[in-house]
Amino acid sequence: MLRSSAWRVRLAHAAVTMGAAVRRHAWSYLFVLPTFALFVVFTLVPVVQAFVLSLQSARIVGGDFIGLQNFVTLAEDPVFRQALGNTILYSAVVVAAQLTLALVVASLIQPLGPRSQTFYRALFYLPLVNSAILVAMVWRWIFNANPYGLANTVLGVFGLQPLLWIGSSDQALAAVILSAVLTIPGGGVVLYSAAMGSLPKELYEAAEVEGAGALTKWWYITVPLLKPTTLYLLVVYTILAFQIFERVYVMTNGGGPNNATITIVQLIYSTAFQFGRYGLASAMAVVLFIMAVAVAVVQFRSLRSDVEY
Amino acid sequence: MDGDAGVKIDRRRFLQALAAVGVAVACGPSAAPASASPAPSTSGAVAKPVSIEWWRRNYTAGTGSAETITSDGAVKGFRDRNPNYTITIQGGPFGPETDQKFDIAILQQKAGPDVFHTTGGDVLKYAAAGQLSEPPLTATEKSDFNASALTATTYKGKVVAYPLWIVPWFEYINLDLFKERGVTPPKDGNWTYEEFLDAAKKLTFKRADGKQIYGFAHANDEFAFMLIDGGRLYDTAVKTWTFNSAEAVSGLERWVALAKEKVMPPDFLTLNPNDSQARFISGEIAILQRPSAMINVLNADPKWVYGTNWDIANFPKGKTAQTAWGGVGFIAVREQADADKKAAAHVFAKYLTGPDIGPDLKKMTPPIEYWLAPAARTSAAGIYGEYHPAKAKVAKMGSFTYVLPNVSTWAEIDQKYLRPARDAALEGKKTAKQALDEVAPTAQKLLDEANK
Repeated sequence: MLRSSAWRVRLAHAAVTMGAAVRRHAWSYLFVLPTFALFVVFTLVPVVQAFVLSLQSARIVGGDFIGLQNFVTLAEDPVFRQALGNTILYSAVVVAAQLTLALVVASLIQPLGPRSQTFYRALFYLPLVNSAILVAMVWRWIFNANPYGLANTVLGVFGLQPLLWIGSSDQALAAVILSAVLTIPGGGVVLYSAAMGSLPKELYEAAEVEGAGALTKWWYITVPLLKPTTLYLLVVYTILAFQIFERVYVMTNGGGPNNATITIVQLIYSTAFQFGRYGLASAMAVVLFIMAVAVAVVQFRSLRSDVEY
Repeated sequence: MDGDAGVKIDRRRFLQALAAVGVAVACGPSAAPASASPAPSTSGAVAKPVSIEWWRRNYTAGTGSAETITSDGAVKGFRDRNPNYTITIQGGPFGPETDQKFDIAILQQKAGPDVFHTTGGDVLKYAAAGQLSEPPLTATEKSDFNASALTATTYKGKVVAYPLWIVPWFEYINLDLFKERGVTPPKDGNWTYEEFLDAAKKLTFKRADGKQIYGFAHANDEFAFMLIDGGRLYDTAVKTWTFNSAEAVSGLERWVALAKEKVMPPDFLTLNPNDSQARFISGEIAILQRPSAMINVLNADPKWVYGTNWDIANFPKGKTAQTAWGGVGFIAVREQADADKKAAAHVFAKYLTGPDIGPDLKKMTPPIEYWLAPAARTSAAGIYGEYHPAKAKVAKMGSFTYVLPNVSTWAEIDQKYLRPARDAALEGKKTAKQALDEVAPTAQKLLDEANK
């Protein structure tokens, strides 16, 4: 009874607070409305629809409600399990490498003068304007299994035998991962570089007084203070890695020899648009969604900090 | 002080909020144009004007693609015979986007094309949804079609579309390389598997300048070797998966032997059609397995003279009679309430697949080669062979070309299970029997699903 009353009081208080907020910011909500409407129509509704479709045997002309059967099918499907494993492996390696690379490159740029900093930031960021498909086509040539592929040409210079790269089920995923790792993440470099520029100088001066070297300052001051930026990049890069598609599609003809490079999004694409199983493809998208949310929550909890500067 | 604290918290939260929005947005989820062109249709029985729409993949008005030139010519030829009909052509690239456009229009909106060009599993999909109008073919007309092509358009005992053409896969041979290595080309295009393998081995070599030549390549898009010893995907009723039979296993073992002998380029598992053609044209491949469309590609290149630099040969022969692998193209008419449009669409579809269109377009200025592959109707088949001596050879292949029966779940069986299993065998990770036996239960399940 008491508990019920307390809830009523809380609800009434919340309603009053919300009412006041609406009255106070009514115009603001009006301005936000167009963007919010677009978000609802083009993002939120499709996501909800994907959840609904995942519970149906949906084909192009509709389907029946089948509960969690699509998820059971996925659990029993060796190709989906392979896609899941490949996606996780790709994401773990690529995200770790890209974060590290971005941090290192930004740290190397930081001591330079303002003009040089701007030049190098632009230099690392500009490749991002290239079409991902074109980039993947270049990597396809680099990792061509023939001796004239660039990677094999380089191996030849060192007297090493050519590898099969994307032409082999043992090496194809490694080649795709390597192609992503060797692409310096320009966005991360720019963000880290900007964040480093705003770190307080006093901390470094104090460390110098204590006799700290450059590496010690970087490890004990720069890296910890960049945690918020690291968290942001970690979450975004992880999601992008989970969504890996065009690189696999172009480099290895959509899955590679013996499904060696198949990923979840590649499988979603073929399941929906080539096999016509929209319900099953939606179930895969839901699994991907849950993976992304779960990983993001873990990342938030482990990296959230009260570091302020 | 408060102000400072506020700023600090805002920045951190801003980054966290950006990351959170990233999660939400990341988990959220795009046909092509038409061109008006003249109009069309057949028999003259319909006197009142009727406008219909023809959807044709790879048609883009004003371009020089084969589909555009032949489609514009077809419409003109039809209209010359049937001035009361008007035909608008709508195009779209080959690929999933256009496939989806067809699906949405035909299956969801029950609208779109009155007549359209389609292939394989789409016919069954649309027939199962009751969206195809049954062609009014007489018994004589039916007997004029290639039997396997007609079977491929049959759904629950009824012919649901007009077979257009049969596209066979065969071998293109580089006569210069044969000459360079002293290899005799197959007489009249016929060779056994053993003769083919022997030639491929001799044609795999490295020149003094370091250029590597490979005896054989394919574009990773067919299973022809698995057919040559008599292996077939299904039983004759298309109820049982039989592609793990001793004959199919033996066929795959012949394919595996090519990999073991290293007569194919090292990237043969990921070689796509364009790359394979480019390598043949650049003289790196002695024997290339491709369908008939490549004839026009070679003819367009002045460096390649038929009979001097290149020729075509049949598929190597295995333990059974000569076999080839091929696909079928169809013209379908959409079911609809408008009887006039439907009738006009059928008249046009018959023209597109019949014996008159070839000669009509050949008489045009400049002459147009309408048939991009041998016609599925015997009465229409002759003209394809008149276009080019190589095409005359291809025209004879229809009699032994195995046309893949239509199974609506074929794409899934093929791409998701059969190709990876085949890859495992070709890489030596599994024996041919292991690979095909592992696929069989899943393939049967998907076949059963298709037959429901």
